Amino acid sequence: MTANAEELELKDRLSLIETMIAEGRRSTGSWAWTFVFWGLAYYVAIGWTAWSQWPWAWLVTMVSAWVPCWYIIRRQRKNPSNRRPETTVGRAIFSIWIAMGISMTFLFPALGFSGRFNQHIFVAVVAAMFGVANGASGMIIRWKAQIASAMVWWAASVAACFGSENQCTAVFLAAIFFCQIVFGVYGMICEARERRQGGVHA
Amino acid sequence: MLELPELNPVIHGKLRLALLSLLSGVEEAEFTWLRSKTGSTDGNLGAQLLKLEEAGYVTVEKKFVQRKPQSLYRMTEAGREALTEYVQALKQLLGGAIGG
Repeated sequence: MTANAEELELKDRLSLIETMIAEGRRSTGSWAWTFVFWGLAYYVAIGWTAWSQWPWAWLVTMVSAWVPCWYIIRRQRKNPSNRRPETTVGRAIFSIWIAMGISMTFLFPALGFSGRFNQHIFVAVVAAMFGVANGASGMIIRWKAQIASAMVWWAASVAACFGSENQCTAVFLAAIFFCQIVFGVYGMICEARERRQGGVHA
Repeated sequence: MLELPELNPVIHGKLRLALLSLLSGVEEAEFTWLRSKTGSTDGNLGAQLLKLEEAGYVTVEKKFVQRKPQSLYRMTEAGREALTEYVQALKQLLGGAIGG
């Protein structure tokens, strides 16, 4: 083998290592649908609360939404073609979202029971928490679209502190639309594109 | 004269190198995932993984999930060190002797 051919082969090996490491780290799973799913669940909860004025509508909707969400995730994991290896990055992102969910589960009922719950606080805190979760996830995977989504949530959090209750609701509805529905659909398109590209064969 | 490093023959095989690189980016991976990423056949993939296992670079955990066999591969510390040394040797070879 000539020196040039040997050099090319060694460069090919180095390139293979880089490609495969990147391919492994890219495996964070298909989660974009959950943004759309939960966005729709928030709309149902908001609509139900406005229509019935029942204070437990939010909690009941959120708990009810967990059932199909959990079922779909379980089904996805059972399907061998959907199963992806666990990565440190994936676990870090998952932890952020789970921790945020636990915080909300305890905080909002406590605010409700203590009588200190009001719409401005609710929207400001929810938006700030979503800003943190999206911002941290976006920074970990260096995804500008998710960082932009976090910025919208942060802006909504600040805006929720001002204006009337109706304006606060409008801000929340708009943030859900852009950061859950639009961002979720965009994420699903990106994931479908990635799946079409398939594996990098050695 | 500069002493050229030897490339680890266990890792140098293209498929074994791809497998170790893939495993270095994840905590553990199923056989089917490794197959889909490398485009290898079951037989070849199994043989190369066995060589890596014999060298102590990967460990395998075999279990049944809903009555279906599942093989989970994980990179060992020795595997990680071997891959790091291999990359350093590659870079040394590319940067030094061959090009010059």
